[in-house]
Amino acid sequence: MERIKSPLILDIKGNSLDDGPGIRSVIFFKGCPLSCVWCHNPESQKITAEVSFDKKSCVDCGACIDVCSENALSKSLPEYVDRKRCTRCFKCVDVCPSTALERVGREMTVEDIVNAVEKDKPFYETSGGGITLSGGEPTVFTAFLARLLEQLKKSGTHTLLETCGHFNIESFKSDLLPYLDMIYFDLKIMDTADHVKYCGISNRTILENFKTIYTLCPDRMLPRVPLIPDITDTVSNLKAIASYLAALDVKKISLLSYNPLWPEKCEKIGVTNLLPGNEKSLTWTSGEKMAKCREIFASEGILINGKHA
Amino acid sequence: MNDKRTLTNTIAHLFLQFLAANYNFRPSFRKYLKSEEGWINFTLGIRTENRTVAQAIQFKDGKARVLSKIPDRTDSALIFKDDSIIKKVAGSPPNELMNYIMTNQVIPEGNLAYTQLFSFYLSLLLKNQHIRLLKKAKAKQYTPDETCTMPETSSRIRQKKQLECENTEPGVRFLKDPYLSGMTLDDFPRLKQFLDIHFKVKPAICHERPQLLTRWHMENGFEKDRSGEPWNPELRQAHAFRYLMENRKPIVRENDLLAGTTTEKEIGVVLYPDAQGILIWGELLTTPYRLLNPYDVEKETIDILHHDVFPYWIDRNFRQWVRDHKGYPLCQKLDERFAVYFLWKTVALSHTILDYPKLFHMGTKGIINEIDEQMRQTPPEEMDKLASLQAMRITLEGLNAYARNLSHEAFRLANGETDMTRKNELVHLFEILKNVPENPCETLDEAVNALWIVWVGAHMENTNAGLSLGRLDQWLQPFFEKDMERLSLEEERNTYIRHAVELIGCFYMRCTDHLPLIPDIGNYLFGGSSSDQAITLGGVKPDGSDAVNDMTYIFLKVTEMLTIRDPNVNARYSRGKNSDTYLKRLSEVNLNTTATPSIHNDEAVMTSLEEFNYPIEHLRDWSATGCVEPTLSGRHIGHTNCMMFNMVAALEMALNNGEHPLMRWQVGPETGEINKGAFPAFEDFFEAFCKQFDFLAGQACQYNNFLGEAHQYLRPTPYLSSMIDGCIQKGMDATKGGALYNSSGSACIGLADVTDSLMAVKQLVYEEKTISFPEFLNAINSNFVNRPDLLARLKNRVPLFGSGNKDALEMANRITKFAHDNFGKRKNYRGGAYTAGFWSMSNHVAFGTLTGALPSGRLKGKAFTPGLTPEAHASKNILDNIRDVSMLEPRHMNNNIAFNVKVVPSAEDSHEQAVDHIYSYAKAYCDMGGMQMQFNVVSTDTLKDAMAHPESYQNLLVRISGYNAYFVTLNRDMQMELIARAEFGL
Repeated sequence: MERIKSPLILDIKGNSLDDGPGIRSVIFFKGCPLSCVWCHNPESQKITAEVSFDKKSCVDCGACIDVCSENALSKSLPEYVDRKRCTRCFKCVDVCPSTALERVGREMTVEDIVNAVEKDKPFYETSGGGITLSGGEPTVFTAFLARLLEQLKKSGTHTLLETCGHFNIESFKSDLLPYLDMIYFDLKIMDTADHVKYCGISNRTILENFKTIYTLCPDRMLPRVPLIPDITDTVSNLKAIASYLAALDVKKISLLSYNPLWPEKCEKIGVTNLLPGNEKSLTWTSGEKMAKCREIFASEGILINGKHA
Repeated sequence: MNDKRTLTNTIAHLFLQFLAANYNFRPSFRKYLKSEEGWINFTLGIRTENRTVAQAIQFKDGKARVLSKIPDRTDSALIFKDDSIIKKVAGSPPNELMNYIMTNQVIPEGNLAYTQLFSFYLSLLLKNQHIRLLKKAKAKQYTPDETCTMPETSSRIRQKKQLECENTEPGVRFLKDPYLSGMTLDDFPRLKQFLDIHFKVKPAICHERPQLLTRWHMENGFEKDRSGEPWNPELRQAHAFRYLMENRKPIVRENDLLAGTTTEKEIGVVLYPDAQGILIWGELLTTPYRLLNPYDVEKETIDILHHDVFPYWIDRNFRQWVRDHKGYPLCQKLDERFAVYFLWKTVALSHTILDYPKLFHMGTKGIINEIDEQMRQTPPEEMDKLASLQAMRITLEGLNAYARNLSHEAFRLANGETDMTRKNELVHLFEILKNVPENPCETLDEAVNALWIVWVGAHMENTNAGLSLGRLDQWLQPFFEKDMERLSLEEERNTYIRHAVELIGCFYMRCTDHLPLIPDIGNYLFGGSSSDQAITLGGVKPDGSDAVNDMTYIFLKVTEMLTIRDPNVNARYSRGKNSDTYLKRLSEVNLNTTATPSIHNDEAVMTSLEEFNYPIEHLRDWSATGCVEPTLSGRHIGHTNCMMFNMVAALEMALNNGEHPLMRWQVGPETGEINKGAFPAFEDFFEAFCKQFDFLAGQACQYNNFLGEAHQYLRPTPYLSSMIDGCIQKGMDATKGGALYNSSGSACIGLADVTDSLMAVKQLVYEEKTISFPEFLNAINSNFVNRPDLLARLKNRVPLFGSGNKDALEMANRITKFAHDNFGKRKNYRGGAYTAGFWSMSNHVAFGTLTGALPSGRLKGKAFTPGLTPEAHASKNILDNIRDVSMLEPRHMNNNIAFNVKVVPSAEDSHEQAVDHIYSYAKAYCDMGGMQMQFNVVSTDTLKDAMAHPESYQNLLVRISGYNAYFVTLNRDMQMELIARAEFGL
């Protein structure tokens, strides 16, 4: 993966108030070493560009069918796009008037990104905000990221990384850490076998990395735990996370509530939803559930942060 | 000819016969044919455009007669689009007639008063049926598709959290916590009681003012005085004003700290028959039952207005004066079709600000001395000047008389009062009123009472539409300081601060004691608007230093606690001068009230006025007027809301070679037929737009100037003039240009819609060439039916104003520059300039309903965006909106702007975080050079819930464009427009 120099960017979302302090622009990178079954951004998993189709926006004009040289588009297909035939030439996207067909992932240079986010600098300044690197997993592109962060720090922009924690610790320490003002580090599942089962790989590197970085700069770190019904939000898992964190003397974490909106995204890009569908997977985390989870951490002396760090 | 007549013609004839018979033979009806001065004689024509129906009804010397041929000369005529519209109107209550006129399905000709009178006759006959229809309409209110339950958000509106603040403000001398976080409405039972009245009492039309004025004029003449000499209009007006003030009922309201009222009612609708008053004639019987903003009208009031008042003013109102004296010009006919512009001088020229500091420091006595001195220095041959001065003097005597009557009333009440606390208050009031406004004010109590009494006077002379209060925090601070300095004990001072809050609270509630008279059509044109009495806070002092003081925060506290729509609070924010503490408080008050105050970037507003080279210390003394517009306080007649100008109409006319589609009227210059390949390049089409704009602006300004002359004759303003700098020195009435500074301000409506439409034409027709102009026009004319692909392309592929696209921004700046230069090249009747503003009151909704589909993809009848706010789908990112608007050149927008931002606090946000977010937006916007910004801090779900359950949301305040209204009082289109506005999470 390191061979890919230039990442694909999914989106740059301005005016984000949920991804760190103040008003922020979030840069979403495409590609992730994990493959969590509940992934809320399923379009961010693959490292390559994809076509997405949103049935609700389609005005049925047929322009895309006319330009497709591979006959990969058909109204008779449930997902509209035959992804085996599609060569990702994106001609259909270019002619679509309604943005029902969209290209997921576009190439951007460091300069492109800097220009796109720096225009909102006055808002970062008045709100104490900045930029957030998210994904996918931004650290997949360490070299690129290092150059980007260097540029952003030159102009004094506050930087925050959201990471799954699976990366090469040495290059992280040398190339990224000096430029990061803050790191939101996800901890999902403590049991290694379960982690492999639900996230595709072992959690050993993640936990080691966490420990290393937390020891280096506890003030810049905020651990985050996503609450996935019956997977991460079980009492045993949360207790395990809590005692792991307590042992490291962590005082503050953030809990991410579950939202049931992501399966729709799976449909758009034609991936199978791997999370066993049940009632819980279709509802938001309740306030009651949240309170119970909070209690587990409180008993270890760990506070739950509000929306922002 | 006659073979064209249809069955409808016969039915109409029979119906008119039936009406005539009732009025001829039933005494209970016949008596309404008579006024105080005798029989009311007029002829009204009724026909369809192609004359399938043609009838007339004549009222003469107490007889009604139906004529099968319309005489050559009628006083008034109604021209119906076709037979079907006649049938519809015949079955509708009288308030509907004006709505048919607005939508150009009925075209009125001649004196509108007679149309209204005829409508009244109809309504008298069909009253019961009409009331039944209105009640039915009321029952059929909006029910949402799904039940919305938003307990969190609605409770958020009601539950006001408060930040505390340590005082670090240099201008705040006495408040330890400028945010006054310890006080809540519960501490002020008096204010709670007044709020209760405000929300529960149904307003009623008051006949006091029109009756007294009409009586005086009947006795003393209007055109000529009793000796048969022509009246000097200013002296006539002054004598009538003094008579009115001397004879009005002096009312000291139960429990109030201020004396005086604008009407005899608890909440009164003030009636100005010389302005728009007569337009309510036809609706007098049904107004209590109408769907939106109903008023009560007592039987006595109906009789007085019908017999005594209205007939006297049929020919003595602004519209009719222009019709009679300027030959019913085209510019007037255009106005009376409602689709291209609306001229506010048909109602008022009130948008200005009196020189309150002068009054506070000199009293009327001091001003009278100044007038006397000026008169002594004026040679006797300068008769007009002497008359103007004399007139000003007389009006001030009238004001003093009213104050004296109030003081007697306070004394009388004090004598009869058994509660000792109240008795003391009344005695105190009696003492205050003995002194002010005649003498200089000494205390805050005196100043605020003088302020209110002078304010009442202003409304007795001029229509309650946008008269504004100015920089009250600046002007009242010296009195507050003086009072505080007399107190040494901490406890005394705290008690006094509490009193100051209560006093200002009482003043706010007094300001809600009157409503403008709005015929039902006004509910669609200006829905939910009160009289927009703007107060301005903060900014810089004339010397350029930070102006924020104790009173600034006291006003903010009152604004927050009361959360009422009027007064309309505007805050100036001067970067580098005003503190973050202040801007943060403005943000918090917006969060807690959901909609106020609006925030102005002081630097940008002053930059916009640079071209006039006003002395800097006068410029720094600017205040918002009506909605948002700048007036140099106390020395400027800017009639900043002289017209609502529909820029989109110019675009529609450019698309149709000068024909306006809704009006079915080839009225503009022929600029080229698209179907004949008229516009080889985009610039050619832009040019056509400019020509149509130029034509409409020329007409609108001409009408404004004619109406200005009507004001000079019918309703000069000697009272106002006595308190506007320049008038005494020049010895000239404000309507004639007596003020130190003169201008007229327009509101250009539809900037985003025009910009986006021109961008669409430019890109699709001329750059990408994906569609030919004729094909595009065809799609527009068919409201994009069968062209979802085109609609989708317009929505998604054309960069809009507010999307962060440079070309769209450049287009918007090009349009504002053109509008500014076009208005700027014209002169008004007082020798001043025309200015261009980009805000819309609520006319973006009304004009929207009168406009077809647009190249931008906006569908037929849909509202335009409010003010110059970008289209909701311009960007998913509010920052793009804010940045684009901030980059509009202020020098092109010298009558200010209204930029609406709807934000929704997240349930997870703490109060402090929500305040911080609003602060960050406002601060960054001003840092980037933005001019004005106003928030709606409320979610779409809450608004939907309020539509379904209006009873639970009576006090839900929303910002329309420049003014505030209660959401539940708005018409459905306006409610839907608010819901459709882009919403951004906090």
